[in-house]
Amino acid sequence: MPPASEQAAWNVALIGNPNTGKSTLFGAMVGVHQRVGNYPGVTVEKKTGEYTFEDGRYELVDLPGLYSLAPRSRDEMVAVDLLIPRRADAAPVDAVVCVVDASNLQRHLYLVSQILELGLPTVVALNMLDVAGDHGITLDATRLEQRLGVPVVPLQANRRIGIEPLRTALASIVGQASRAPESPFPEAFQREVTQVESELADRPVSESENRPLPRYLVERLLLDVNGYLQGVLLGEDDRESAQRVAQSRARLQEAKLEIPGVETASRYGWAEQILEGVVTQPREYRRTTSDRIDRVLTHRFWGMLLFALVMVVLFQAVFSWAEPLMGLIEDGMGMAGRWVESGMQPGPLRSLLVDGVIAGVGGVLVFLPQILILFLFIAVLEDCGYMARAAFLMDRVMVRVGLSGKSFIPMLSSFACAIPGIMAARVIENERDRLTTIMVAPLMTCSARLPVYSMLIAAFIVPNHTFVFGLLSLQGLVLTSLYVLGIVTAVVAALVLKKTILRSEPTPFLMELPSYKWPSARTVCFRVLQRGWVFLRCAGTMILAISIVVWAALYYPHDSETVEPPFRQRQEAVETRLEALSADDPAGAELKAELVRIENEMAGAYQRQSVLGKMGQWIEPVVRPLGWDWRIGCAVLASFPAREVVVATTGVIFNLGEDFDSEAEEDGKLMRARLRAATREGTDRPLFTTPVALSLLVFCALCAQCAATLVVIRRETNSWRWPAFTFSYMTTLAYLGAMATYQLGTWIAGL
Amino acid sequence: MVQELVSLNSLLAGQSARVGKIVGRADHVHRLEEFGIRGGTKVQMFQPGNPCIVRLAGSKFCLRADDLLRVFVRPS
Repeated sequence: MPPASEQAAWNVALIGNPNTGKSTLFGAMVGVHQRVGNYPGVTVEKKTGEYTFEDGRYELVDLPGLYSLAPRSRDEMVAVDLLIPRRADAAPVDAVVCVVDASNLQRHLYLVSQILELGLPTVVALNMLDVAGDHGITLDATRLEQRLGVPVVPLQANRRIGIEPLRTALASIVGQASRAPESPFPEAFQREVTQVESELADRPVSESENRPLPRYLVERLLLDVNGYLQGVLLGEDDRESAQRVAQSRARLQEAKLEIPGVETASRYGWAEQILEGVVTQPREYRRTTSDRIDRVLTHRFWGMLLFALVMVVLFQAVFSWAEPLMGLIEDGMGMAGRWVESGMQPGPLRSLLVDGVIAGVGGVLVFLPQILILFLFIAVLEDCGYMARAAFLMDRVMVRVGLSGKSFIPMLSSFACAIPGIMAARVIENERDRLTTIMVAPLMTCSARLPVYSMLIAAFIVPNHTFVFGLLSLQGLVLTSLYVLGIVTAVVAALVLKKTILRSEPTPFLMELPSYKWPSARTVCFRVLQRGWVFLRCAGTMILAISIVVWAALYYPHDSETVEPPFRQRQEAVETRLEALSADDPAGAELKAELVRIENEMAGAYQRQSVLGKMGQWIEPVVRPLGWDWRIGCAVLASFPAREVVVATTGVIFNLGEDFDSEAEEDGKLMRARLRAATREGTDRPLFTTPVALSLLVFCALCAQCAATLVVIRRETNSWRWPAFTFSYMTTLAYLGAMATYQLGTWIAGL
Repeated sequence: MVQELVSLNSLLAGQSARVGKIVGRADHVHRLEEFGIRGGTKVQMFQPGNPCIVRLAGSKFCLRADDLLRVFVRPS
């Protein structure tokens, strides 16, 4: 059936094993016309793109890389749902392009065999012929096409060879009637599938859809023994259907058709027949460049050393290259703030724009350079194939905390921001390993913690203390210890979680190591920009909203009737004395300073009676064991939605009144001076002693102060239970850690 | 001469073998088979250790052997 109108496009699914150059092919087919969205109801990324060819419009969907069309996780279920829609509103696929790697054709035909069984119009894209040539493999594409009965298009996606023939082949098959499905299974097995199919015929495929389960899904129900698909398709309650599936499996077992072994035996048997005389394998595989590189990079000693070097360069780049850019953004924000300030009358709106919107959005924008640089590194390492080696090297370490090497990439990303880190955990098949990784990822020192750290360290740790011939400074040492604290806590938390609530059998660690290649500038740029944009949108909107809420909580009720009268009296008294003096009287300056003091005290009084101020005073007894007063409590409380807010709120709370904003370039130093000068209310003892500063630092290092992260955890785990758990355990740890630091610190100081 | 089955991990770098038997839970074994590692396939040790790197046809993969999943091979 052709598309109903000129507007409608042919839906084409692009499927293949990981590392077959599928995404490169996708890019070559659709160019820049790509979008990233989500599949309905799930958060799996859906990459789609469009192109026109000979008056037909084609919409291409890039499915996640799969070794098999046997759903074990949400990612894989998405692919199956797209090819065999269960929902009535899902548009059926008009054609499938299956990308295969010519250098390992037998394994790739396994997936082809599953796709051919669906009976959809299919093209096989034979990629990486050059790699196969390097290995000494030769193959006959024409013969392969005859044997498979579907078009086979040889191509080299990375050099854009074969794209036009692939489009032509697609144009020739879309709109064709479905092919007769072919099954590689023995007849006895097929009969059993037919029987179960009829037994389950009265069972609708979903609540809204009154049609029976498609045959392929019935077959999968019999073959997939891990229970994931059964849970998705039949639910927990349908005992009767589950019983039927179990009985059928028992019958198959009796007939010597091993479940699930019959599938691999049948499909590989079929693949061997197809490839007989099509492919010639060399007697010995030639050594490729990749092999020579791997000799070093996966070496037990040299590999680890180079890995450490890569990590050092990566972090160095994130922190030092980003510096000038971050300075530029900060300057720009400062200018915007002053511009608004100079052009508007003082009042709630100006305060909202300057303290709420510009300070809030600026707070996020400042991290963008660091995040983009980290993503650039990750994208390059992923695209050239090094990430798989890093996961291999790290597996030896990760297995000790009960996780596998696959948890490494999410953890690494979390050093920039926990949000992409948590999303990267999707590659972990073991659900409990994935959950553990998600739970501990927010403990990694993300870039939002840096401003908090640098503010407090700069203010309270003596800068000119150096060790080892000036190579190490006390400030640097404290910063490093905070990073180490995050990592160590994450390791311990992972160990505890894996031993208690997330105990599971380890999943076999099995991962392909793709051949090395030069990273493609297109792919890398696209990935960096796309992830940067996701970060900006997700964190930006959230933080903007929070900044406004925090600003409002510190500003309102702003009741001048109750706050101002006592100050007004003093103000008037000073003003009268000032007027009585002649203009050049030296006492005038003293009186003017007195006026500023009163002004500040008034601002302080406003804060104390603001919503947030009241809350701060209310929680003071709770934070006293940490060495904090109500103002620190307030700043921390306000930064629960987003930790970088702590810098802004501390500034506001410690009376950096509006008068000081005009001296923006001096802001940093002024803030430090203000913090050092802060005293406990009613006394002249300094508030921030070293133990208090350290206790605040430890709290910030361990606490789950990021609403965006919690929301992403909710999305990724589909339940509020896990974000609630993450929040409680991290906050408890932070509280206990800060208390221990303060108490221990005071004890040591008292010795 | 029929060689005896040994654990995949005991192969030396560069040594080739044919997969004889995979011991483990049915779905784990199935996954390994879907990956292409199944009875009769020729593999070559690239980097011994645990996890080890093994070459299979034109590709390389790494695998950690533990009590749950063990691949036994016949060295050739």
